[in-house]
Amino acid sequence: MMPDTAGPQPETEPGIATAEGGLVFLEGPDGVAATMTPDAAARTGQSLIEAAALAARQQASDGS
Amino acid sequence: MFTERFLRDKRGASLTADERARIEGAIGEVKTIAPRTIIARAGEPLHQSTLLIEGVMSRYLDDRQGLRQLVAIHLPGDFLDLHAFPLKVLDHDVATLTSATVATIAHAELEAITQDLPELTRKLWFATLLDAAIHRAWLFRLGRLDATGRIAHFLCEANARLFSAGLSDGRRFALALTQADLGEICGLTTVHVNRVMRQLREEGLCSFRASLVEIPDPLALAARGQFDPAYLYMETVPDFLSNAKRPRS
Repeated sequence: MMPDTAGPQPETEPGIATAEGGLVFLEGPDGVAATMTPDAAARTGQSLIEAAALAARQQASDGS
Repeated sequence: MFTERFLRDKRGASLTADERARIEGAIGEVKTIAPRTIIARAGEPLHQSTLLIEGVMSRYLDDRQGLRQLVAIHLPGDFLDLHAFPLKVLDHDVATLTSATVATIAHAELEAITQDLPELTRKLWFATLLDAAIHRAWLFRLGRLDATGRIAHFLCEANARLFSAGLSDGRRFALALTQADLGEICGLTTVHVNRVMRQLREEGLCSFRASLVEIPDPLALAARGQFDPAYLYMETVPDFLSNAKRPRS
């Protein structure tokens, strides 16, 4: 019988972004490996921050 | 001998002299093909299969924007589109990456082999199953590993496959791929590959210069790429890879 696993789980550790040669490299979380222009990276970052704030409000709402 | 490397060092599948002679006798043409040449396109009827004698070839898919994912690479000794014999058409393109020497075998000859020689047929089947095992490892690599792990895993695989073919001493081998090729294999941009290669070099794990790969400590690189050679079904797993096990949680 195949042992059960929990399956993919939400990441609790952040990806790490670094800049080099005018580009942004995002490593992780997990198997994420992306190269972005500064503009794409900034917009991705903004989108992540906005989504994170919304998700935090959803968690707070679910917990109340 | 054109079949010298086919199934070399593969567990329970090495060819007998008679089997080798039968495949040699089935070869219709041997030719050298220029680098970056498409030899089979998706959907085109195929009437022959191709044994790679020298060079590196790829199977690939392009997305709607023309961006490419290499879904397999083939090294000397690989019977690279044997599965086209039963399928008759491929679902992907096949092309040379380097200059390549190939031998072609008509499907009618393969049909005769399947009728006459069940043991050799089983070994041809083994070759296609080995391709499938490698595909599974490529799925794991892209799904679970970070950029450095993907490159490390691929270079470990290339080292092991070339060792089986007699083309690596276990720490040093020729591999005439570009960083763009590595990117299309590992789902990374060329600049990302460049960065990872520098990181691997600085960590003393691997250098890749002028088409020569050097791996001072294959076990350390295997650990970085979570590479376990079991899926390559090698007859003898050499010491330089024998302790490489995928970490289990």
